[in-house]
Amino acid sequence: MADDAKKKEIFEKLRNGVIQYDEDACREGAQEALDAGLDANEAIFDGLVSGMEEVGRLFEAQEYFVPEILMCADALYAGLDILKPHCKQMDLGVKGSVVIGTVEGDVHDIGKNLVKMMFDVAGFNVYDLGRDVPLDKFVEEQLKTDSELVCLSAMMTTSMVGMPKVIEKIKEKNPDCMIMIGGAPTSKELADKWGADGYAEDASNALKEAIKMVAFLKKLRDEKLKK
Amino acid sequence: MLDAAPLKLLLKKEGAALVGIGDISKALPREIRHLDRGVAIAVDQGLNRGSIDILCGLQRYAEDWLRDRGFRNLSIPPDSDRRTGKLITKLYKLFCHKTAATCSGLGWIGKNGLIINSRYGSQLSWATVLTDAPLKTDKAVTGSECGECELCVKHCPSGALKGDNWSLSDPLRQMVNYDRCKALKNNRQRFAEKPNCGLCVTICPYSRKGRKKSIKQKIDLPSFP
Repeated sequence: MADDAKKKEIFEKLRNGVIQYDEDACREGAQEALDAGLDANEAIFDGLVSGMEEVGRLFEAQEYFVPEILMCADALYAGLDILKPHCKQMDLGVKGSVVIGTVEGDVHDIGKNLVKMMFDVAGFNVYDLGRDVPLDKFVEEQLKTDSELVCLSAMMTTSMVGMPKVIEKIKEKNPDCMIMIGGAPTSKELADKWGADGYAEDASNALKEAIKMVAFLKKLRDEKLKK
Repeated sequence: MLDAAPLKLLLKKEGAALVGIGDISKALPREIRHLDRGVAIAVDQGLNRGSIDILCGLQRYAEDWLRDRGFRNLSIPPDSDRRTGKLITKLYKLFCHKTAATCSGLGWIGKNGLIINSRYGSQLSWATVLTDAPLKTDKAVTGSECGECELCVKHCPSGALKGDNWSLSDPLRQMVNYDRCKALKNNRQRFAEKPNCGLCVTICPYSRKGRKKSIKQKIDLPSFP
């Protein structure tokens, strides 16, 4: 078993790899973690996600902009791809599956992809429908996969108007399903009005929300481990 | 203002045919608005894998140069090297190399819808590095120098070219019917290894002039009177 110093060094490598958007470092770090017999979940949360948290801070401080965020996310995925197959299914009490996509008429999916990443990290089963998704497809997919969560994204006001229809249809067929909406034209008021359960303002806020969410999951997990 | 001459010199030494700095602030979407300078880089190697590798190498030189001086940068790779499957690739299509090339004075957009440089014609391969470094900018090209020439319009086998003259003040005018061009490409794909017909490039008088020059340079022919 690896000693603590080695473990710390590997986690630091993963963390810095994400912050400095160095895909190779993330890949190497992930492989080292596996070779050293470290827990994959731990490597993801204490390495990759801890790096992404710092990236979120840098973004809020306006030291990083959207291009950097995306490159950091790519680096995170590079590590995640290696670690994921070795993950134990986490029991967080919230594990589940999520359907995510950008609604019909809209091809902007940067924000959606960032949110998706955080779900990937958190161990959700993510059904990504992509962009410009016909409204009925969300309802169908939700029923088919029995997902607990549906995330709708829109960048344009014209495509946003499709959201309440989806929400209504899903709630009609499956009232227990949670729905999150996001994207530039949406608002907390609209989310409430349409009966959505969650809301994130735009790509940056979605990221912040998603990071908060994963940080929260991480806290839950840490508390669980302590017990 | 930061002197751009050392950067240009470096890139030319490493194989760039043309390097220009353009003020592209008006052409940027929100996600990359802070990167208001475009370093346009062109190589004259024909369309093959080699020129893409050279361009990507040149971009790395520019990235390092800018990073060493503490500036941000974002490389937009050559159009024929658009890797997919990564998040950052989503940003590439927000920016078009033609913008950087015209804004940095390296050419106008010809009737063939391609960048035409007065020396090399339209046979160049392009890449751009966006940055927030306050580099001294070159003067933008504002209008077409195609004049009355309509060779590309007449010779285009798919009839895709509309024959309009480009102007910087009317950047949204559609000059090429891309559906027609694409349809021909798809047809050719069945039997040709390279589906691009490239006639609009080879027929352009500026390209022919440029090719003559570069051949002469390569084999060092004595110039005839």
